[in-house]
Amino acid sequence: MRDDDELIGELREAGRALRVPQALDQRNAVRARLTAPAPRLRRVRLAAISLVAALIATLTLVAPARAAVVQVVGDLLRVAGISVRAEHPPTDLPVDPSPLPSTVSSDLDEARRVAAFPVMVPVDLGPPEEVLLADPGPDGKPRVVTMTFRGGAVRFDQFDGALDGGFLKTTPDAEWVDLGTGAPLAAWLPEAHPLTYIGRDGVTRTETTRLAGPTLIWSSTRELTYRLEGLRTLDEATALARSVQ
Amino acid sequence: MVKGAAIDFDEADAVARARGGDLDAYEVLVARFTAPAHRAAALLGAGADADDVVQEAFVKAYRGLGRYRGEGFKAWLLAIVANETRNLIRSRQRRAGLLKRAAEPETLEIDPAETAEASERRRFLVEQLRALDTRDREVLTCRYLLDLSEAETATTLGLPRGTVKSRTARALTRLRDRMPVREAPGA
Repeated sequence: MRDDDELIGELREAGRALRVPQALDQRNAVRARLTAPAPRLRRVRLAAISLVAALIATLTLVAPARAAVVQVVGDLLRVAGISVRAEHPPTDLPVDPSPLPSTVSSDLDEARRVAAFPVMVPVDLGPPEEVLLADPGPDGKPRVVTMTFRGGAVRFDQFDGALDGGFLKTTPDAEWVDLGTGAPLAAWLPEAHPLTYIGRDGVTRTETTRLAGPTLIWSSTRELTYRLEGLRTLDEATALARSVQ
Repeated sequence: MVKGAAIDFDEADAVARARGGDLDAYEVLVARFTAPAHRAAALLGAGADADDVVQEAFVKAYRGLGRYRGEGFKAWLLAIVANETRNLIRSRQRRAGLLKRAAEPETLEIDPAETAEASERRRFLVEQLRALDTRDREVLTCRYLLDLSEAETATTLGLPRGTVKSRTARALTRLRDRMPVREAPGA
């Protein structure tokens, strides 16, 4: 069915070209609706309801504090579906970045041609000095595109997938960051931390573990994940993250 | 000394906690799936009301978490999104008193970085897709515009997988019949 394949290709292309407006951040609205007391309860047990309201107020005040700094308590702490594991960083980490699985050197044009996702660039950093494609699927399309800037001091990774295990980080003071609705999940990892890549097959590539510098990691609207590594301050990293296009 | 933290997103865990009434856990799911839900709503025809559909879907999904069977939260949520979108379109039609399908709001644009010819054909393709029968349109939208798998499409549209397969094939034939034949290269 060659004709079908061609039409399917055109439909997929059209899907990629169709732009929809930015989605509104629904977190607060949904929470407000879910915590609103049911109308029929309003006239009964007023005391109980005000207690609930007080509790909600407390939770709302506590939530940003929890979000600001992830505290590592004991060996395992789970925050709202994001698991935070205390870990002993392995002691024998290579300091130099070592390549992801099946890394090949490339350039921006080729990356844009072969990647199954739109390849973005933090334009304020200028053109990338090096472009690498890694972890190709059976179709040859890379799952990770890496760019380096400033003589290799700054590294920008983008990969096809959500924050669901693509990269695992180990750092003592991860901090949640609000990058706006375009990036529903974002975290700043200010200290050097071991970095492990888990391939599309789910296998952890221990041989690729290396020490990563300060990193801003975020997921974007189209289920892609980005990490920007090597900026000293969160402000600088945030400004550059906003220049990604 | 124990130091360091690994961060990852565990969907099954977030769902399990949300089911137990943990609104923080549910908020992570909301953050994670707002964008795909919004895109699905917009492309399935909710247009400018896509945000309302998404919010409604998240509220209903939370209350219906007891019915979730681990089929993948995204597809399960999209089933609610698709249903809400259908309701929206129906109520729009009632309000407008129209028998025909209401015109979709113009919230969809074609990438301006494209050649005129390619974008013209693409615009025509999207118009013809929208003009298809609802069932054909939905299945093609899910499979190819939203890039869902056959299984995800089946969950989203509440259809058996075999039906998704046969309806996709039929819808493709109908869509192709509406498209002009491509000129041979060099002709």
